[in-house]
Amino acid sequence: MSNSGYPGNNRIMAKKITGPQILTANLLSEGMVVFLSEGGAWASSLESAQLAHSDDDVAQLEAQGDQAAQANLIVDPYLVEVEETGSALSPVEFRERMRARGPSINLEFNSKTNGHALISDQAVAG
Amino acid sequence: MYRYDEFDATFVSERVDQFRGQVERRVKGELTEEQFRPLRLMNGLYLQLHAYMLRVAVPYGTLNSKQMHKLAFIADKYDRGYGHFTTRQNIQYNWPKLPDVPDILGHLAEVEMHAIQTSGNCIRNVTADQWSGVAANEVEDPRPYAELMRQWSSLHPEFSFLPRKFKIAVTGDETDRAAIAYHDIGLRVKKNQQGETGFEVFVGGGMGRTPMIAPRVRDWLPKNELLAFLEAVMRVYNLNGRRDNKYKARIKILVHELGAEEFTRQVEEEYARLDASQITPPKQELERIAAYFAPPAYEDLADSDADHTQHLVDNKDFAEWVERNVAEHKVPGYSIVNISLKPVGGVPGDASSDQMRAVADLAKNLSLDEIRVTHEQNLVLPNVRKYDLFAIWQKLKEHKLANANIGLATDIIACPGLDYCALATARSIPIAQDVSNRLGDIARQRDIGDLKIKISGCINACGHHHAGHIGILGLEKRGVEYYQITLGGSGDETASIGQIIGPGFSSETVTDAVETIVDTYVDLRQNGETFLEAYRRVGAEPFKEAVYATH
Repeated sequence: MSNSGYPGNNRIMAKKITGPQILTANLLSEGMVVFLSEGGAWASSLESAQLAHSDDDVAQLEAQGDQAAQANLIVDPYLVEVEETGSALSPVEFRERMRARGPSINLEFNSKTNGHALISDQAVAG
Repeated sequence: MYRYDEFDATFVSERVDQFRGQVERRVKGELTEEQFRPLRLMNGLYLQLHAYMLRVAVPYGTLNSKQMHKLAFIADKYDRGYGHFTTRQNIQYNWPKLPDVPDILGHLAEVEMHAIQTSGNCIRNVTADQWSGVAANEVEDPRPYAELMRQWSSLHPEFSFLPRKFKIAVTGDETDRAAIAYHDIGLRVKKNQQGETGFEVFVGGGMGRTPMIAPRVRDWLPKNELLAFLEAVMRVYNLNGRRDNKYKARIKILVHELGAEEFTRQVEEEYARLDASQITPPKQELERIAAYFAPPAYEDLADSDADHTQHLVDNKDFAEWVERNVAEHKVPGYSIVNISLKPVGGVPGDASSDQMRAVADLAKNLSLDEIRVTHEQNLVLPNVRKYDLFAIWQKLKEHKLANANIGLATDIIACPGLDYCALATARSIPIAQDVSNRLGDIARQRDIGDLKIKISGCINACGHHHAGHIGILGLEKRGVEYYQITLGGSGDETASIGQIIGPGFSSETVTDAVETIVDTYVDLRQNGETFLEAYRRVGAEPFKEAVYATH
């Protein structure tokens, strides 16, 4: 598996990865968390994320991440191991689950979009 | 209050223009993320767990109403209508967009504020006792010295690439409200027998994975020698501090490894060698800075006010708020009002833009236009006439800011934790909310009395858990959060490091454990002992027995 240049990979590579992986990053301009979707778009929801089951799949995700980073759309792309439960995806690491869901507190403010779309409301074309 | 001089205004304005150009080049791809990261960090802009975060400096925690209004404006226009006041007396915005940040910095510059040196391995925002200049028993207002250090350390070429970040705190009172013993350098203003002003100097304190109480390296430092002596400390650190291991790079490790005596010897040797005349500012410059902190135009008032006294008799809630949140002022007829940003079940340190505006207006009209931010994530109106207290309390109530819990169990420090922070290993705010809800009954809080609960979401200890009477540290194991509890920490003039009581607790059981500890204290306290006094008398054992017998 090729992992060059992916900051999140060192953490993931520290233990054996058994499940499928997805690619995540932050949007350069907005800073928001995004996931690489089927069809190459970057979306705020991981539900439509492209799954990599093999080394070839992973390499393909990474290539798309590199391309989007070089196009100044995203920053710091990295792979996240997920579990599939039916059609739902859930990151294995607790930190990544938090990152995917958004803050668990302050909903009074964090549901107030104020011109800043919530992560779950936002889909960004790649 | 200090006002920018021409030099300050120019360099802040130039920095805004410079950063605007850097952002433009980053967005166009002319700068890579690797090239841009240190530039944005130098301007207080982090990329956190969910979004960018901008940390704005509030030098020594002092603001005026215009500045607070600007912070509220930024929260509304560029963020989500709130801000988070931090343990460094700063404010953080959790949702700015990168292209907006130069504009935000431009707005801040309009009111003499910036985000410079709120990140990176430099000397960070100097913090100070939030009651500086107004505390009844203060030796001297330490803020002119904090301002002097701000000017000295701002963009100082020798100290822009230190082994690690560097934090200085200063107090002018024997009662330590600035946690000076937990700082890289802690300074306490004092007077000698001749009535001259100087400092007691502590070096090498800190939190993080290796908590340390700073040893005293100088019992007496004449005030005009401050910068030269600090420069000697910084040079010893810059030369000998470890750069090979980030976790051993703070000055506390150097002081610990050398020993306080040897470290002090090296500092004194360096101090004797350097040319202090090149560093010490001229007397007229010190006087110019001090003049900005001259006491405001206080009225000549009687110390007691009949209407205020009557309100205390008539209104129990008001009387309780005064008892916990109002402190004695050095000027007769005035009080210090502490505004709690810790509503029961709320997010510690958060304020909405409406609340910021309300505080700004109260400061403008009823506190001689001054506001302070505390390292315990609250706000202060430092100059309130006693006869205005009832009106202020009513206004604060309208804005849900009249929580009468300063220093009580729900006045919790919590770092942002894994709800916002990229470094966190567990959530801290929801635990703070849960503990606050559990212990929130005001009669119960008042019965428990003084209690400092502090919660960090990782070993970096931004929530000051080491200094908590009850400290909570959030960690993660096999994909699940768990929480270690420490007891007996303190950040005051009797500073101590909390000790771990045993195995950790799940997020579902940690509040039960805290409640058991509190109940155990209530059962064993004697003669009005506070929690900390009782712990220091009996040690951890009774608490451990109670907690691990039931959980």
